[in-house]
Amino acid sequence: MSKDDLNDRIAKAQAKIDAKERPAYMSTGKGMGLGFRMASDFAAAVVVGVFLGLGIDAVFKVSPWATIICLLLGFVAGVRNVVATAMKANRVQPGDANKGEGA
Amino acid sequence: MMVSTDPMHQFKIDRWFDFRIGDLDLSFTNSAFWMVVGVLVLIGFLAVATSKMKTVPTRMQSLAEIWYQFIAGIVKDVNHAPGKPFIPLVFTLFSFIFIANIVGMMPYWFTTTSHIAVTGFMAIFTIGLVVLVGIIKKGFGFLKIFVPSGVPFVLLLIVTPIEIISFLSRPISLGMRLFANMLGGHVALKVFAGFIPSLAVALGGVGMLMGGLLVMPLIVGVTALEFLVAFLQAYVFAMLTCVYLNDALGEAH
Repeated sequence: MSKDDLNDRIAKAQAKIDAKERPAYMSTGKGMGLGFRMASDFAAAVVVGVFLGLGIDAVFKVSPWATIICLLLGFVAGVRNVVATAMKANRVQPGDANKGEGA
Repeated sequence: MMVSTDPMHQFKIDRWFDFRIGDLDLSFTNSAFWMVVGVLVLIGFLAVATSKMKTVPTRMQSLAEIWYQFIAGIVKDVNHAPGKPFIPLVFTLFSFIFIANIVGMMPYWFTTTSHIAVTGFMAIFTIGLVVLVGIIKKGFGFLKIFVPSGVPFVLLLIVTPIEIISFLSRPISLGMRLFANMLGGHVALKVFAGFIPSLAVALGGVGMLMGGLLVMPLIVGVTALEFLVAFLQAYVFAMLTCVYLNDALGEAH
């Protein structure tokens, strides 16, 4: 019990120090990381959609319908990736802006 | 005067020792050499830093501790307690990518992470691990990540393919981002640097002046940005590994 108590106090003290002293550029880096992530997540979903569609077309000989449908689904999936990332990032409280956004 | 400013030449793979098993090409290339250099630098640094451990850390030990705690902090923030066994993995991935990126920033040194064969393999490995861990931990319940709860059946017909495409896009996105950033950054550096000799050749003294005053500060800035990107890409890769692992470890969301 006393050990938990100590851990608690250490965590609290650490959080206080972090909030005060962790430099602001850490959160800038986090924002840039998030930006890189969203951009490539969107593009990758479209690429995957197209190739999935081309593959289905080639196997089932329904060209070009699967490509069209999967391209559209890819766009939707890309937007969904971006929106999900943004929502997760926004859910983090302003107080712990320096914590990870993926929890 | 011929000026060689081909921006893609720096990414050429050279076979240093030919070595083949049947059709399998296992030659030792410059890429492999710089990977070995990166790993040796990393192991050497950590070995020296942690060789004489003290309660009050020296500068080197302090750096190694910050390095480790940075990664451990990401894993703990994202995965909480179940993520603990994966700290070494994420640490290894981050360190390798970071060192490889930084090694690539040195003049004339090769950037191993600017080849999709390297980054793509790491991405596929990561996603493969996520799937493996998910199936071990949850069995077929792992497939529930494709079927969001609380969605009407009709919508599921649309939502499930979207989720599957979204999941399949992860390794592509993971590998492509690192590869594209390193490749793009180095090409940009080379192209900008190539402006100076081109200007000097085309305009003589005026060109040299323009190159020195206008282009050189730009190159310095882009180089600084590239160092930031080198760190950020390693960070993003490590963090996304944690986020994806969370699908396999954590509760449904």
